[in-house]
Amino acid sequence: MAQHDVEITISKTGEVNAHIKGAKGKSCLTYSKWLSEIVGKIKNQQLTSEHYEPEIKARIDLEQNLGIDE
Amino acid sequence: MGAVLVLTPVIIGSWPAITAAVAGAASAMGLIVSETVKESVKQDQSDTEQNVELELSDSKVLAESMTTDQEIVLTKGDIELRVKRDERGRCSVCAKGTGHSQTELKQIAEEFTQKLTQCFVYDKVMRELKNKDFQVVNEEVSEDESIRIHVRRWMD
Repeated sequence: MAQHDVEITISKTGEVNAHIKGAKGKSCLTYSKWLSEIVGKIKNQQLTSEHYEPEIKARIDLEQNLGIDE
Repeated sequence: MGAVLVLTPVIIGSWPAITAAVAGAASAMGLIVSETVKESVKQDQSDTEQNVELELSDSKVLAESMTTDQEIVLTKGDIELRVKRDERGRCSVCAKGTGHSQTELKQIAEEFTQKLTQCFVYDKVMRELKNKDFQVVNEEVSEDESIRIHVRRWMD
């Protein structure tokens, strides 16, 4: 079981800052896409070291779970 | 780590969803919802009454769930705010009041639209997080009025 954490800050003006932790490889991009579908436009995105770690089939499962089409 | 992203909100929602966010923003700012549905009637404006209208540019109020000329009227003292769907389908906020300058009214309207946006985004994010079985680990409001939410889920 992998632990996925998301820390979301909604500023006074409504701008959203999200920090996705625990999602390896392209899985974090799946979360990014999902959040943009909920909130709005991605203004800025930075990938951290975890993004470059190997992903297994977790990303496909996550996409299906979040209902995102590739 | 994973990813860090910044998102600019876009308000797309039905009139009931907008209404819920308006109620939240009104409560936070000490505004009273005086009317929830009102026929759009041209009213006489006195010489001393100022009027400022702001449009939420990145907004779209879905029209299927509302009748025409629906609006919400909020009051605080002698200031009145009207939230409505304009002709282009966008959400707009009109502030007016006697004895207040255009600058003051604009400031109040801007403050309200920001709070409305924050409430709308919060409601939507929390609803979607719950739908995807995220557990809320922590939630707090900071001194700068931002809302911090920490959620977690377990994946096979």
